[in-house]
Amino acid sequence: MKQLYITLFLLFYTVAYSKQNCNIYKWENNTECYKACRLYGKGGSQGSRSSQKNYDRVIELCPTYDDAYWAKAIPYLKRGDFINWRIMMDKAVELAPEKHLGYRGWCRYQFLKDYEGAIEDIEKLESLVNYDIGFCQNSDYHLNIAKALCYKGMGDSEKALEIIEQHLMTTEYPIGLYDYLHLGVLYLEKGDYSKAITALNAQIKENDLLADNYYYLGLAYKGLGRMMDYEKNIKKALEMYLNDYGRYDPYSTPMDKIFLEDIKREDKEMELG
Amino acid sequence: MKNTYPLVLILMICLVASCWNESEDSPYPRQVGDIAFDAALDDPEFMVCNEKRAQQYYAFRTSAFQGEKPAVEQYFEERFQGIETDGEDGYITVRFIINCEGKAGRFRLQEMGMDYKEKQFEHSIGPQLLELTKKFDGWNSIVHKGQPYDYYQYLTFKIQGGKITEILP
Repeated sequence: MKQLYITLFLLFYTVAYSKQNCNIYKWENNTECYKACRLYGKGGSQGSRSSQKNYDRVIELCPTYDDAYWAKAIPYLKRGDFINWRIMMDKAVELAPEKHLGYRGWCRYQFLKDYEGAIEDIEKLESLVNYDIGFCQNSDYHLNIAKALCYKGMGDSEKALEIIEQHLMTTEYPIGLYDYLHLGVLYLEKGDYSKAITALNAQIKENDLLADNYYYLGLAYKGLGRMMDYEKNIKKALEMYLNDYGRYDPYSTPMDKIFLEDIKREDKEMELG
Repeated sequence: MKNTYPLVLILMICLVASCWNESEDSPYPRQVGDIAFDAALDDPEFMVCNEKRAQQYYAFRTSAFQGEKPAVEQYFEERFQGIETDGEDGYITVRFIINCEGKAGRFRLQEMGMDYKEKQFEHSIGPQLLELTKKFDGWNSIVHKGQPYDYYQYLTFKIQGGKITEILP
């Protein structure tokens, strides 16, 4: 588990803060792009006036500097101006599709629940590269798992299940923080409670600090009529949720996220039942 | 100490010059997405406590919604009059500020098609959602480390066939 956190942290750190080697432009005698590269990322905090001005200056110097369009677009996305985000993001994708398609696809899922659009971008990326398409921006999922969640969002749970099952069979793949949670919920929704319990327990083994796992585990036991296990897990979910161990994404509501009222509804049912 | 005086002076000049460059009349807003008061649109009685320190909703762990997101979903589900019709697909976003007292104001509407291009929905879906958002009063005021904050929030409605299919974020 510790290793997973370290890997995810390093991955995030690398993606978020890695700097391009500006000397590449120098060696190409591309002075303007070299200057742009040196300027990139030096404008201050994300979304600030100085930052946006700086990205425009980078673009002015080097109109093919795809990362500047990408970075300039981010605050528009986070702040709900999706029209302007998309204009800039499309430019980044046009300049470097292999680098930005996965990100755009992920954001279309994460921020807009644009399931069809996200699948389109992820599949386009798959068709362009012959290497692993990798993880989404916040490292929560491999892009394949994100694609499966899109199918679920579109109502095709069978396809979602198929993708996740197949993906988890890949031996070199490190288990994510939520992969088995979603797998467990898919089984639960199908009424396959034993498989749901196996999947959710596998997730708990990887990530014990999530109320959502225990909530769904409780529901799976309820489905099997094992009421003591149901009660135990719902109580545990409630306790964890009240201690801030519910699923949290600062920007959006993750799929299958539970809320306090979900747990309380079960808790009340237990009291009545 | 005397020798450092010219250096301090130069640094101060640079600081003033940089502040000058960041002036209010710049074509760039202080922050992407800032909503300035517009007398033609906004309630003059709605006050923002500290405009320059306004944050974004994602800066805080506290949910903007009293009763968390299900409360917002329930509110719109009970009140929104959907129109069953083809072609009314896309996203309607209402952006606004929640002040340090938990009151919302300065509402702005953006309507977008599934192609992420601006579009005008028919059947007044947008104005209806704007009015319902204005009437919603279940916002949390946010206090972080003892300090109350104003913050920007948005609600995006995914519309398919004239019905709300998702409320985001």
